Amino acid sequence: MNTTEKVMLSIRNYSKTYGGGKKAADNVSLDVCSGDIYGFIGHNGAGKSTTIRAVVGVLDFTEGEIFIDGHSVKNEPMECKRITAYIPDNPDLYENLTGIQYLNFVADVFGIDALEREESIRKYADLFEITEALGDLISSYSHGMKQKVAIISALIHNPKLMVLDEPFVGLDPKATFTLKEIMHRMCEQGAAVFFSTHVLDVAEKLCNKVAIINHGRIIASGTMEELTAGRSLEEVFLSEEADNDEK
Amino acid sequence: MKNSILLLKTLLLSTSGRNIYKYSKDKKKRNKVVLNTIGMVFLYLMLMGYSIAMCIGYGVTGLIDSAPVMCALIISALAFIFTLFKTNGYLFHFKEYDMLMSLPFETKTVAACKFMYMYIKSLPWYLSISIAMLIGYGFFVRPSVLVYPVWIILSLLLPVIPMLAAAFLGFLIAKLSAGFKKTNIIQTILTFIFIIFCFSLRYIIEYMFRDDNVQATLETAADMTENAAKYYPPVGWFTAAVRRLDVLSMLLLIAVSALLFAGVFYIVGKSYRNINSALDSHAAAKNYKMTGQKRKSPVMAIAFKEFKRMTGSTIYMTNGAVGELLAVLFGVVTLIIGFDKIVGVVTQNAPFDYSILQPAIPFIIYFFIGMVATTAFTPSLEGRNYWIIQSLPIAKKTVYQGKMLFNMLLSVPFMSLAVLCMCISAKVPMINTILYLVLGFMLCAFSTTWGCVCGIRHMKLDWENEVEVIKQGAAVAIYMLPNMFVVMGLTVLVVFAGMYMDHKLIAGIFILIAALLALLCYRIVMKLAERKD
Repeated sequence: MNTTEKVMLSIRNYSKTYGGGKKAADNVSLDVCSGDIYGFIGHNGAGKSTTIRAVVGVLDFTEGEIFIDGHSVKNEPMECKRITAYIPDNPDLYENLTGIQYLNFVADVFGIDALEREESIRKYADLFEITEALGDLISSYSHGMKQKVAIISALIHNPKLMVLDEPFVGLDPKATFTLKEIMHRMCEQGAAVFFSTHVLDVAEKLCNKVAIINHGRIIASGTMEELTAGRSLEEVFLSEEADNDEK
Repeated sequence: MKNSILLLKTLLLSTSGRNIYKYSKDKKKRNKVVLNTIGMVFLYLMLMGYSIAMCIGYGVTGLIDSAPVMCALIISALAFIFTLFKTNGYLFHFKEYDMLMSLPFETKTVAACKFMYMYIKSLPWYLSISIAMLIGYGFFVRPSVLVYPVWIILSLLLPVIPMLAAAFLGFLIAKLSAGFKKTNIIQTILTFIFIIFCFSLRYIIEYMFRDDNVQATLETAADMTENAAKYYPPVGWFTAAVRRLDVLSMLLLIAVSALLFAGVFYIVGKSYRNINSALDSHAAAKNYKMTGQKRKSPVMAIAFKEFKRMTGSTIYMTNGAVGELLAVLFGVVTLIIGFDKIVGVVTQNAPFDYSILQPAIPFIIYFFIGMVATTAFTPSLEGRNYWIIQSLPIAKKTVYQGKMLFNMLLSVPFMSLAVLCMCISAKVPMINTILYLVLGFMLCAFSTTWGCVCGIRHMKLDWENEVEVIKQGAAVAIYMLPNMFVVMGLTVLVVFAGMYMDHKLIAGIFILIAALLALLCYRIVMKLAERKD
């Protein structure tokens, strides 16, 4: 990891205020470089999904700036989306399309040629053991299968930045392992991964960098070694949260 | 452009019965697709039959020249009203928003495709009217062969401008609401205000005509055409194009539709993400204090859950309660202005004894109540969350009873208040008033149980958008038929019968009929609840 230090995702002083003046994200700043697997952790309602949705251009924001590979999410959304992949925590796919119809739709949107997409879909569908189900309607899939289709659709255009919200929820152990392998491989090739999770064990083993968010504010961030310094991530997370709540 | 076509194609494919039929392995699901398609074709044919009958009426009375203007007016009015009800669910608040917005689509492309999807989905209804009226017009007028393609092509464009106007109104409402904390409530109130304004528009226009002393000009169909075209030029362009094959009018309709489309979605696209962000993002208040909890029966618990479901959705609120609201509004307005004056406005002061209309009071109010598709108060709206109820230890009949109870709690007070207002205003005797209140109650019971039958028989849980359940589909169309069209006929029938029979007797007969029908439907619901599926 950390083969190059090109900043793939840069969040600068990002804040999101909801109606009524409540801040869901407050002055969030972080950098995800190519080669990074960056974990974003926090309790429920801490502001993880709000930040992630702003990064991928789904949620509007007024304060701060977000750049993907140097492009502003606000001013150049199309450039950002072309190099980003997003997997939401509960993907809402078109239920009455078959898996392959959905994947072809996404490949068409990104302009992937027929041969390339066939190769890509075959590779990832085999890895996730879902090839045979691709001809069935998505409405007949289990949550995990839908998640797998969402992951394949996210990988189809070889993104430079992959953003995932709770990606391991609903995945079977084999698929979880496969996804981790894919993340590693992407980073070795110079891409970056930014994902939120509650599973601290996974974050500790998988990520080289991590940020802890609490009540919309980043309370700790850095490389895993710096942050943990001999302790477990769980200990760090709980103590940081306790310190922040006391303040 | 390529991406727009791709997205539109995918949106249509994702809700097409053909795709489900082709790829579903569930035989029951496939049969349902076939039955739904047959049902919808039947309804289109019925609408065509109704439109042809209307044309025959024009032909026989020598008013066939008004057929094009009537066709354009009906399509435009329906397109505007239906879009106003649906736009909130189609353009905003859709489930796959995150997925679509994270893909490299421009915001205006997403909004425009959602609009085009809504347009294509409603096109069969408008085409049924247009083609049927073209057949009638062709039969009586024997126009040039060129008129046929021109009529069909232009009638494809007719709904565009009113739909754009309604969509833009929906956008303005959403944009205004987005600035508030309680976006849903503000959006619902603003939508109601616009709907009530639209329903009053006819009378406002008539009032304007009266002030200008041009009422007399409305007497003839030809002048009506001119007036309609004056206030809404697309009707004039369509009429000129099909009557005189006027090329300029054709080009105007095409060009204005295209320009408005581009303009509206340029503006909508600018704040589309901002509006959706505001509508879909809510901060939790996190200020709840544990207090004493109350116990409810399972039926009441389901009814309460339905109440919360309704108040949490603008599209459910505006579609589910608009009839009730209009009914009360009509009743109160009648009370304030006077029954005689209202009848005078509607009948153009025709010289007859207005008291003969008294037996129609419950049916007039029920016309508004029946506008609301009570099929929404069935499990379909639960969608993929239906498992929550299914996994609970309650029988299906309890679920259905709870949903029906909520609909009764919603409709009966509004119905009663409106009937009471009209009865007071019309000076209806006390006994008759009580009978009309009972009839109103029975009609509400019928509406509720009949809606439940339709909703369960055509249950649709795998919807992409709640509009599909609330405003579209076989269940809604089948429910609407007796509730809106038959009631119109019944209104005329009771007035006619009232001239020869005692009003109390008429009310008594209809109380009995409505009660029997409600009971029959309730029994069907209970039977359906026992069905294992």
